[in-house]
Amino acid sequence: MNQEMTAGASKSSATAAKKHSKKPKYRLASEIQQELLEGSLKLKAAFGELSKAGRRLEDSRFTQQELPAWKPILTPAWVIAAFVLIGITFIPIGLASLFASERVVEIVDRYDDGCFFLNTNQSLLLDYIRNPKSNKTCTRRLTSLLFSVLSNLTTLIFQVPKKMRSPIYIYYQLGNFYQNHRRYVKSRSDKQLRSRKGEDEIKDCQPIAKSGEKPIVPCGLIAWSLFNDTYAFSLKNKALTVDKKDIAWKSDKEHKFGSDVYPKNFQSDGLIGGGKLNHSIPLSEQEDLMVWMRTAALPTFRKLYGKITVDLEANETITVVIQNNYNTYEFGGEKKLVLSTTSWIGGKNNFLGIAYLCVGGICLFLAINFILMYIFRPRGFYADAEEEEKDEEDY
Amino acid sequence: MSNTLFDLATSCRVVLCCRVAPLQKAGIVDLIKSRTDDMTLAIGDGANDVSMIQMADVGVGICGQEGRQAVMASDFAMGQFRFLKRLLLVHGHWNYQRVGYLVLYNFYRNAVFVLMLFWYILFTAFSTTSALTDWSIPTIVVGILDKDLSDKTLLKYSKLYGAGHRHESYNMYLFWIMMIDTLWQSLVLFYIPVFTYSESTMDIWSMGSLWTIAVVVLVNVHLAMDIQRWVSFTHIAIWGSIIITYACVVVLDSIPYFPNYGTIYHLAKFPTYWLSILLITVLALLPRFIFKVIRQTFWPSDIQIAREAEILRKRRSPTRSW
Repeated sequence: MNQEMTAGASKSSATAAKKHSKKPKYRLASEIQQELLEGSLKLKAAFGELSKAGRRLEDSRFTQQELPAWKPILTPAWVIAAFVLIGITFIPIGLASLFASERVVEIVDRYDDGCFFLNTNQSLLLDYIRNPKSNKTCTRRLTSLLFSVLSNLTTLIFQVPKKMRSPIYIYYQLGNFYQNHRRYVKSRSDKQLRSRKGEDEIKDCQPIAKSGEKPIVPCGLIAWSLFNDTYAFSLKNKALTVDKKDIAWKSDKEHKFGSDVYPKNFQSDGLIGGGKLNHSIPLSEQEDLMVWMRTAALPTFRKLYGKITVDLEANETITVVIQNNYNTYEFGGEKKLVLSTTSWIGGKNNFLGIAYLCVGGICLFLAINFILMYIFRPRGFYADAEEEEKDEEDY
Repeated sequence: MSNTLFDLATSCRVVLCCRVAPLQKAGIVDLIKSRTDDMTLAIGDGANDVSMIQMADVGVGICGQEGRQAVMASDFAMGQFRFLKRLLLVHGHWNYQRVGYLVLYNFYRNAVFVLMLFWYILFTAFSTTSALTDWSIPTIVVGILDKDLSDKTLLKYSKLYGAGHRHESYNMYLFWIMMIDTLWQSLVLFYIPVFTYSESTMDIWSMGSLWTIAVVVLVNVHLAMDIQRWVSFTHIAIWGSIIITYACVVVLDSIPYFPNYGTIYHLAKFPTYWLSILLITVLALLPRFIFKVIRQTFWPSDIQIAREAEILRKRRSPTRSW
């Protein structure tokens, strides 16, 4: 093969042959060696480059924790700006909230103590309220309110303080009623409420789960204690219609309470805890039940009863005939009837407005204080640091 | 004899022992360790240093010419003796600051939630455990990435290391201040919704939802107030966790099988809900903010001063090379 190579080399060009002809064969091998050496050095260099690049990847800004950062400092400017900002946003919010709350017209009337003197014999009181057929007349005068009781009826007469624009919401307010008690809240069966197939899912409803052998629909203490006072309003001897549609949450009507679920064996035996239900109306249309079953968060709460869709002028006299059925006397509860308009803030509640005003005011006061403090007792920021640097240099 | 040695040794700034056998090396460390509360650190590179390294509270091994014996017995390993300076002054300082703060913060975070439920129990016998997701991701991110001072400042002003000796990041005083602040925050968190929604149609699940969101927002804004170095990950962790909690609440409230069904949709329509959350966050954090400002203005710590110097100097002369 070597002979062919040398022959080939000499064949290709005379000058090349002259160059190569002088070199013996062993030099050709060493040339190859040299090339190999150079090649391996290049490879090594290439690997070196790669590994350096690799190390550079590892030494990224993330692992060396040198990501670009924002380092906040509480300079006087920031502090004062923060307080002023809170002050100037909170005070208008507070004023707006207070204004909205003041615009709400609310009539609240407690009626459960209407006919009864407070030191009535408790057992007589309880007998009266428990008896579904009790028939008593009672007259009582309270400033501008007149009461007359006929069987379980109580009549309230009151005046509208300011003009109330529709819709006017009617609520019943209960006090000292712990709908948020643990056992009470759990005593329901959402599966049963949702569809007829879940009728037998009554394990959480004890003790109001079965009537004999058959399941109660809807079971549980919450449904059993359904509120059943009714109110009939009249203005100038003409009845005011109360709109009882759409008082429950839409999500409840559509998904939580099934349209194929009908009440069964409800309040049929044993202790009756509240109102009865019409067994021929499905649960998805029983709005009072839905409103009642949305358990309240606090022991004093309101629930929507209905709406009045006409305006009420100031100083108009409204007469309410109340069916005082619900037994809150056993546990010292309170019942109140509330008529209220609403604003963007909801019902009448001055708390948010006052709280925002206070916090805003405090912040502005603090801002002024800090401004004075920074003027009269300045703490130089850079100056402190420079002093410390000088100390270090003394070492 | 060892008492005399101890007295002599602790009166000197530096003590040199030569011709010391391995067991005696360990003995010297033990001499200091058993008589004081001080932390001892031993650094060595050879097999004869192993007993000393194991005896000390912190053992540092050098992997080098004498093999890896010391490294295998140590808590920290490094390549050269001079890296010890960085280990202590930079990483030691950062770790102490981070761990100290995070312990306090975790006490606060758990306590504020539990206390809030406790106040509710006084109103009922029920506890609202609506779906609450426990997001500890922001604390992890802060624990990894937060730095109070840069490494250059820490190496330059070695006196800043004294903050650790003086227990400035975690001590009884800080703990009790944190607990009092937690008490205040839990009261604000609980009572503002109670007063806002007293005598209203507010139901239990909506109230629980409001408290859940308020707790998450409050706890994260509290952390945000204390972060000293904001990088992109910190932003993502903090604001992301608030957003994710909201997303979880929306998702859970869209499933009819849960009792919460529909609550967030109903609540979010009312400005009162948003105003309550804003009020809770600001009012709960206000005392803490005031306290922080006053302390930093009148009694700034060394670290605070060094931090201000570092950042303000950098801002004023950004071209100055460190």
